[in-house]
Amino acid sequence: MTAAKPKKLDAFKSLPLVKKIGFNRVILIGVIFALYGLFALLSPILHNGTSFVNYARIMSALNYCYFIGFLGLGVTFVIATGGIDFSIGSVMFCAALISGYCLTKYNVPLPVCLLMSVLIGTLFGTIGGFFVAYIHLPSFITSMALMLVAKGVGSIFTKTQSVSWPNLSSGQNVWFRYLVKWGDVPTGLFLLLLFAVICGVILTKTRAGRYMICLGSNKEAVRLSGVDVRRWEMLAYVISGTMAGLAAIFYVGAYTTVQPGLGDTFNNDAIAACVMGGTSMAGGSASILGTIIGAIIVALVQEGILAMGFNINYQYVLTGLIVLVAVTADTLSRKRKN
Amino acid sequence: MGDVILTMRAIDKTYPGVHALDHVDFDVCRGEVHALVGENGAGKSTLMKVLTGITHKDSGTITFEGREVNFQSAREAQAAGVVIVHQELNMMGHLTVAQNIFIGREFKRGPFIDDKKMNAEARRLFEELNIDIDPKARMSSLTVGKQQMCEIAKAISHEAKLIVFDEPSAALTEAEIEQLFKIIRDLRAKDYGIVYISHRMDEINKITDRVSVMRDGHYIGTVNTKDVTKEEIINMMVGRTIYETPKAHSAVPADAPVVLKVEHLNAGRLVQDVSFELRRGEILGFSGLMGAGRTETCRALFGADPKESGDIWIDGKKVEINSPKDAVRLGLSYLSEDRKRFGLMLKKDIVENSTIATLHEYSSAGFIDKPGEKQAAQKYVDTLRTKTPTLEQLVMDLSGGNQQKVVIAKWLVNNSQIMIFDEPTRGIDVGAKQEIYELMNSLARAGKSIIMISSELVEILRMSDRVLVMCEGRKTAEFDISEATQEKIMSAATRDIDAHDLLKGGAAK
Repeated sequence: MTAAKPKKLDAFKSLPLVKKIGFNRVILIGVIFALYGLFALLSPILHNGTSFVNYARIMSALNYCYFIGFLGLGVTFVIATGGIDFSIGSVMFCAALISGYCLTKYNVPLPVCLLMSVLIGTLFGTIGGFFVAYIHLPSFITSMALMLVAKGVGSIFTKTQSVSWPNLSSGQNVWFRYLVKWGDVPTGLFLLLLFAVICGVILTKTRAGRYMICLGSNKEAVRLSGVDVRRWEMLAYVISGTMAGLAAIFYVGAYTTVQPGLGDTFNNDAIAACVMGGTSMAGGSASILGTIIGAIIVALVQEGILAMGFNINYQYVLTGLIVLVAVTADTLSRKRKN
Repeated sequence: MGDVILTMRAIDKTYPGVHALDHVDFDVCRGEVHALVGENGAGKSTLMKVLTGITHKDSGTITFEGREVNFQSAREAQAAGVVIVHQELNMMGHLTVAQNIFIGREFKRGPFIDDKKMNAEARRLFEELNIDIDPKARMSSLTVGKQQMCEIAKAISHEAKLIVFDEPSAALTEAEIEQLFKIIRDLRAKDYGIVYISHRMDEINKITDRVSVMRDGHYIGTVNTKDVTKEEIINMMVGRTIYETPKAHSAVPADAPVVLKVEHLNAGRLVQDVSFELRRGEILGFSGLMGAGRTETCRALFGADPKESGDIWIDGKKVEINSPKDAVRLGLSYLSEDRKRFGLMLKKDIVENSTIATLHEYSSAGFIDKPGEKQAAQKYVDTLRTKTPTLEQLVMDLSGGNQQKVVIAKWLVNNSQIMIFDEPTRGIDVGAKQEIYELMNSLARAGKSIIMISSELVEILRMSDRVLVMCEGRKTAEFDISEATQEKIMSAATRDIDAHDLLKGGAAK
């Protein structure tokens, strides 16, 4: 009986689909359902009859998932190169504040504002990438510094006021909200998955992706192979920044109001999504699918904790624990393989 | 030779796809130096890892000092008296010698570390070994040879009874090797059991009492060293005879064009005013002692390190090489002596490693042509006879010789015309060595030009058409192979630099 069990597990592990997406990812998908079931069971008990199983809950969780997903997709590139980007959350807020301020205070056309948001992200990514790749500063320090800069710049630009992007009821300049939700259709989910596919293609099918992952594995070997590693390392940060700019659009599309001085807590959620999905902090490997699954888990936890009537601090604890367990499982299974 | 201290019986170990050890037997007695030899991938390292608890056997028994043991970790093995002196030294350069030796088990006085006692204890160890090292010196200030001696002292301080030396001489100079042997002989006299892993046949003759040979995960046999010749041992290892004869004369036609010309190259203390030419189809041997500046010269040439000055011509055209990218574009390639650090992405597969230098050719509009790059990788796995189950094998799971082949494949895919081989056979066994030699010869015949850096004189004399000798950052001699002898090369490699400088100064006056 006990001997048969691991055999069954091995047979499951060697299924073509399981092999393709990775055993740990399959487990994580299981975790999504387990968490959902847990919240569905506990929230009526703990929070006087609150129902978790309804469409509004799912849409609410997805709202959180979108921007975390975009941030996570971007930072996956940086982590694949063996670096880290702690600025993405602040950059996202900086982009949302500045472009939103331009929209509401200076009546800049909406498309220009959205583009501006993306470009602000790109700009921060480019600056960070330059310092990391060309000046050889540690990514930890560089992104910490840019986190502070982005946080400050956003607040200065808006004179420390919060910015409210237009509500659906205000009638004009509201179509950006359809990027997130069109009636009852979760358009944001489709867009997130579209970008996930694009990121996946870049990472696995293109030269740029290959270089980024390989330099995460052994930068010096790649350099001595005649590759301009600086350029490709910088690109990872540019992508990360650009995705933070995109994330800003989905943040305001979901929540409309942006407060200055916040945003940096979302770094952790995005990085957590990325590493629990199996992207190694040591660099050299990345999983886009893992990041998306991670983002879903992070969002689900956020929603579930609220539904159960706990405050946000419990969300931090639970997310942290899931990261620990997921990365431990990943590390152990890699060790066993060797 | 005393009684048996270690018996390993029917040790079996399987990795996915590889039967690394197939019922291997191995014995060591007290007071003997027992050589363990075999080609790369033969299973020597795995056997020693099993012994020292770094990996675990699938089946078989290990008896140490009459007791059956099954060490679960290196620490456990250490505690029982089995220690290993690794080829790659695990030292912390910024700590002192004594701190390194007693790392993890520092002497304490109250809550504080008792440096005085550690220094005294280290000094006592060194006296026992007849080594002259200051326990208070910083590790990084010592030569590789001295560092190794510290590693040995550390092993002994663990009250070791059995010491495994894993290719201890790989990074040592001749003089340092002599001293190492002296220490090993002392240890033998003190009844330690010693396992000595090496690829150098001369050393095995010199220092060991018995030789055990492994091949492809099998135990082949054990012989008394004095009863066999070098050729017989090699035969046991590879199952065929290999002759090492020097080249009589250059194989390069007299009218072969100069493909690379380097003039007055300067890059720091170790590259001073180096000039040379390389002709088409030629193998130019770079000889010299460790630290003579050969690697530094080639790295500066390749653009891997910045150079201060110097002119480079390729095919008669003056070129600028400021980065490896420039060099690769001009058809140069550099195969580092340290494959793992500078040559390979260990966690990536054979395909990815083979095409990293040529990805632009295997992609269009930024997308990688996966079938195409796979085909290229497969082609060189076949021609180089790289031993691997699949192309998707991670390079870290290949043996040293096969890893080297992957690096070579990378540059063959790139169709490099000028190839720099830096210690191409370091850490590679006799059989694979032979393959690499044949490969280099066939590359040269095919019109590629090769610079070969080597610290083994036999290798230099056997492979080179011309020999360039360096000493302390300067070129001190250049010979056609027909004129080169071991003695001439050694004297140029050890030329007294002070006298050289004096002469130069005198001429200026």
